[in-house]
Amino acid sequence: MHPKNKILLMGNPNVGKSVFFSELTGTHATSSNYAGTTVGYMKGVCALGGEQYTVIDVPGTYSLTATSEAEAVAARFMESGADAIICVLDATNLERNLCLALEIKKYNIPTVYALNLADVAERRGIGVNTGLLARKLNAPVVVTIAVKKKGIDELKKQLEVVLHSPEKQLPSKNNTPTCGGRCTSCSVRKSCSSSDTTFPLYSNKKNETTPPCSKDTSGFEATFPPNSLRGKGAAPPPWATAKEISRQVIIKNPAAKNFLDKLGDSMMQPFPGIPIAFLVIMLVIAVVVGGGEALIQGVLEPLVDNAIVPFFRSLFSFVPDGVVKNILLGEFGIFVISFEWIIALILPYVFLFYVASSFLEDSGYLPRLSVLFDNIMRKLGMQGGSLIHIFMGLGCAVPAIIGSRAATTRKERIVVAAAVCFAVPCISQTGAIIALLSNYSWWLFVAMLAFTLVWLFVAAFLAGKAVKGKVEPLLLEIPNLLIPEPKAYTRKLLTRMKHFLLEAEIPMLLAIVAAALLKESGLLDTIAVYAQPLVSEWLGLPPDAVIGLILGIIRREMSVAPLLELELNHLQAFVGGVVSLMYLPCLSVFGILTREFKLKVAAVIMLSTIFSAFFVGGVINQVAGLFL
Amino acid sequence: MPTPTNLYNIKTTTPLQVISVPKNELLENMGIRIGTYISIKTRYKLGGPVLLSVEDSYAVAVGKDIAEQIFVKESA
Repeated sequence: MHPKNKILLMGNPNVGKSVFFSELTGTHATSSNYAGTTVGYMKGVCALGGEQYTVIDVPGTYSLTATSEAEAVAARFMESGADAIICVLDATNLERNLCLALEIKKYNIPTVYALNLADVAERRGIGVNTGLLARKLNAPVVVTIAVKKKGIDELKKQLEVVLHSPEKQLPSKNNTPTCGGRCTSCSVRKSCSSSDTTFPLYSNKKNETTPPCSKDTSGFEATFPPNSLRGKGAAPPPWATAKEISRQVIIKNPAAKNFLDKLGDSMMQPFPGIPIAFLVIMLVIAVVVGGGEALIQGVLEPLVDNAIVPFFRSLFSFVPDGVVKNILLGEFGIFVISFEWIIALILPYVFLFYVASSFLEDSGYLPRLSVLFDNIMRKLGMQGGSLIHIFMGLGCAVPAIIGSRAATTRKERIVVAAAVCFAVPCISQTGAIIALLSNYSWWLFVAMLAFTLVWLFVAAFLAGKAVKGKVEPLLLEIPNLLIPEPKAYTRKLLTRMKHFLLEAEIPMLLAIVAAALLKESGLLDTIAVYAQPLVSEWLGLPPDAVIGLILGIIRREMSVAPLLELELNHLQAFVGGVVSLMYLPCLSVFGILTREFKLKVAAVIMLSTIFSAFFVGGVINQVAGLFL
Repeated sequence: MPTPTNLYNIKTTTPLQVISVPKNELLENMGIRIGTYISIKTRYKLGGPVLLSVEDSYAVAVGKDIAEQIFVKESA
């Protein structure tokens, strides 16, 4: 029954569990500077003292009372048992973190506490008496700065100690040190009483752990009667205990707010917060669009046109002219467009978007944005917190829809999913649309941006009206504003790129092969004849544009990419961009919608995207036709 | 004597003490309970939230609908 060698990694949301998980197991869990990044759970393997342990990154919870999906998962893990627990505590917010710590303690599973975010606490002038805390929790407390890898080795060492301690940490009535006397730090047991040091310890001390051993091993139960909140002999509620402990162990030194704290505060004032928000958004657009253009024109396009494609032309020069050669190297030839589209069109934008978005996620800026725009979001049938998921949707709709599990009500989830599917282009599609429009003029780009925003509002508003239910009001803790740690940031960026390449490459190649075959088999021309009334007469696009509508079923950017070859006029480019934006999200999104909601919801969303895309695109074409 | 007012309508920046809260697990988890000391850092127009400093240590944004159900008094 008892699972072998299982270690649970637990803690409140946004305390850095995922960073610990990555450090301990070498497996990358996504971490960001806001609550709720880990919605499911992840498993990894960690070697401790020659033995293999399975480490489980349990979703962050404030308690184990199972009121939300994440809490239910956490509670189930606790009940299924484990050999040890790593409980991560946020040093800047100890009281609230202790509530969970005390609940975990009741399960009597050997635990090591990691007092994380020690650097931020120090910056804020918050000191913690770790010796006293370790005695109150009756378990080792290790001071850590996980993103800087500080304290991780010590944490592993302490884990081994609690794992091999026969008495583990069962509350004992006698005065046996809980570490069973084996703990190396305890060999100098007389020093334990004087180990009531207060961190910051990094600068001046090697051993960052404070073992729980001391003459006072009674734990908090024994030292905790003097509280007015306590009823007749009943144990005080965990939060009251937490309050009392944190009152005792925290030493506050008034610290001057540093620049980041002040900036973090002013970002949340309507002024200058809203101007800053616009500045940040403009900056992101500049980095992604400007940087992408520069990369493509300066490096990638010459590389593809002058080196890669000629290389394949000479490689396949033995193939006689004809259908086979055209499939390989023709207008939609596999070895031409797979490089032109993927390398010189999509990848640079994807990369730069992740550069910008990972930075924003890790900095803690997004929750501030959520607070600033909560009032607008409310009117759209969502709440400010959902802005984070919509922002994620700018990368890819799949993680956005999964991430919206953190939203509390079903209505809100559906509204977010609908907004993302209808009006938020994923980054590779955005890249393709930018590439399409940049051949024309900047005002076409601005018009597209404006249209996207308006359509986002309309889509969210309509979905909000259509779906019954209520939206929970915003309730969001604002994380510290941080400069992302270069190592953690780079790793996140690389993981995302790897993930993109693995996930997107095959569908993209499939779409490209399909394009080549459709074109060269003549099937495309046949379909184009049938689609003529819709594509040409209603939307005003050349008949060949139908290929975008076919490929767009597989992936979003593939609805735009073929348009680049068609020498469209301004209006056609705009209509093409609009139809592509509103058209079907890709097959993976359909899959995730079906999984997360019901087939019915997925089908309704998919059919309405097709209909609205043709309807709005056609209306724009017809109305513009009256004036041009 | 300070009279109880709901958090959304109170017009002060002086420290406040919570005297009643709606039943909401998340609110409790965020440490906002009867007796908690809070102060309002920022309020947002057009039905926006109230930004609180809780126990002088961390910031929590509370949406209008919940803020209206939290009653507070000015703490001396």
